[in-house]
Amino acid sequence: MRVFLRLIAAHYKQFIREKAALFWTFAFPVFFILIFGAVFSGSEDITFSVGLAVEDNSSVAQQLNESLQQVDAFELTMGDSDSELQALRDGDRSAVIVVAAGFGEAIAQGGQGNVSVYYDPSQTTTAQVLVPIIRQVLDGFDRALGQAPSYIQINEETLQAHDLRAIDYLTPGILAMAIMQLGIFAAVDIVIERENRVLKRLGATPLKRSTMILSTVGFRLIVALLQAALIILVARLVFGVPMLGNWFALIGFVLLGTLAFLAMGYMLSAFAKTERTAMPLMMSIQFPMMFLSGIFFPVEMMPDFMRPIMDAMPLTYLGDAFRQIMVESTPLHSQVINLGVLAGWLVVCLIVAVRFFRWE
Amino acid sequence: MNTVIEVKNLRKHYGSVKAVDDISFSVAEGEIFGMLGPNGAGKTTTMEIVEGLRDADSGSVRVLGMSIKRHPSKVKAQIGVQLQATALYPRLTVREVLNLFGSFFPRRVPADRLIKLAGLEDSRNKRCINLSGGQQQRLSVALALVNNPRILFLDEPTTGLDPQSRRNIWAVIEYVRKKGRTVFLTTHYMEEAQRLCDRVAIIDYGKIIATDRPDRLVSQHFAEEAVEFEPEQQVDIDEIRGVAGITSAIVENGKVIAYSSSVPRTVSALMKFAEGKGMELTNLYVRRATLEDVFIKLTGRRIRE
Repeated sequence: MRVFLRLIAAHYKQFIREKAALFWTFAFPVFFILIFGAVFSGSEDITFSVGLAVEDNSSVAQQLNESLQQVDAFELTMGDSDSELQALRDGDRSAVIVVAAGFGEAIAQGGQGNVSVYYDPSQTTTAQVLVPIIRQVLDGFDRALGQAPSYIQINEETLQAHDLRAIDYLTPGILAMAIMQLGIFAAVDIVIERENRVLKRLGATPLKRSTMILSTVGFRLIVALLQAALIILVARLVFGVPMLGNWFALIGFVLLGTLAFLAMGYMLSAFAKTERTAMPLMMSIQFPMMFLSGIFFPVEMMPDFMRPIMDAMPLTYLGDAFRQIMVESTPLHSQVINLGVLAGWLVVCLIVAVRFFRWE
Repeated sequence: MNTVIEVKNLRKHYGSVKAVDDISFSVAEGEIFGMLGPNGAGKTTTMEIVEGLRDADSGSVRVLGMSIKRHPSKVKAQIGVQLQATALYPRLTVREVLNLFGSFFPRRVPADRLIKLAGLEDSRNKRCINLSGGQQQRLSVALALVNNPRILFLDEPTTGLDPQSRRNIWAVIEYVRKKGRTVFLTTHYMEEAQRLCDRVAIIDYGKIIATDRPDRLVSQHFAEEAVEFEPEQQVDIDEIRGVAGITSAIVENGKVIAYSSSVPRTVSALMKFAEGKGMELTNLYVRRATLEDVFIKLTGRRIRE
């Protein structure tokens, strides 16, 4: 234990005395938040392309039309149902709302008017973020009609859709990105230590290899928690990004994510001989992950053929987990799946790392 | 005398390269044992196998009476190791690194004592990255002494060092020996081996070709003295070998090294030889044979730096 703490202290000193490491770990993600927050500030929300087909001429239908027009998150396109549904099939709409003929009449007669919401269930994010918003709007309109019972036929859902601003969407993603970088770039340090024969020199002392690795991992976990605290704090103070969920769940995912990406780092370090080859290798892994994991923009903005790539990346799941916890975004996957996939990556990387890792 | 290192029939091949080819030797407690040979001769590989940092293909190694494979941490607690070209934690200070390494061992020498021994008093709070090459090497040797080891392993401790650092490291080695500790070092400096070592093993192409005290190695192989000169023009080495008193000779980079059993006869015969050729012999001098000459005699080449 004493040796373990000594090593942690040594890692700390090594870390705190290197400006570049400090920058990449703490300043870089904060810059990201500040820059993106400024770019997408205030009213610049994420918008969804929504098709609206009103096939009823009643004044109630007209009122519904107007209230849908007022939703900031929608970029409404009006049309008939056939052409709008075709646009949905073509991927030009995220959802289509059809107010059927006879809608006004049914309500006037004290019955329920039918509103159909069409969406592509394979576009899970859109579907699960957007559909609840539509439901919420319809529900609000319904209640505004004043008289109980409800006049519009929609199914009650427990899903709660928040009005996600871009920065709300981005902050958890940047947290996930920072943790990925922390883990993967640990590989560069490992390669340097191997190249400088630090690992070999330590191997000539009674120090156990497990203590050596545990101290490295332990130190990175501490840094990850500090990083998370800093990112959440800055996002909250500057842009009012909330932390709605459970802190323990958040910490749990921070630790699990760090472990998974550290394992990936150790695995990658087995395949790079020198610092010069390690750097490009890490870059070539982290950049695609950064941009294909829905960290910076929702995944439905990606072409469908990239879905399998995204679905394979651990960062997709870590980002989704953080978004669900922090801003209660609609899940891309359930937290159990997020947990499982990250744990799976951890185990696989660990196995490969143990098999191929070299001490010199 | 206790035997503290015993190596028998050690072999290590890398593909078709026989890095260590059936090496056996033993080191007694309290002696400075040197392995002398050119780069790539197998010195480092042999040493690292003894230190437990590499596995041998076959053969046995016992250190302090124990098998390093079976009791690695017991052995490692009692030996001190300096590796070639290690840059340890660049942003820790000299004192911090010494304290860190000290914490790996049950018993340890205070950092300040090691700093003084290594002559690093003025650099104790300097970060390792800011040390000169010589200072780094002295720190590396000090780190090897942090557990007051019974055996000190030094792999080319003075290669490429400035004279001051070299003298300091020699002084440290002699101090360690005075304390009754054992030193096992590798070097390709003849002068270093001759000056420091109680016994030297000459190693080439993975084999030990001679082991003895340095003076005995010389006297065993050479009753002769060395005559060196630079002829003005190319000479046929066989003609030189025919000169009176010369038993063997080589030519390298225009310099002739001839071994003579009778220096006066050889020198006057050489003068006549040169006169006959109408040339002069420059930089002619006579010296006693050294370990370098032994190496040349045994291998037909010089050790190069």
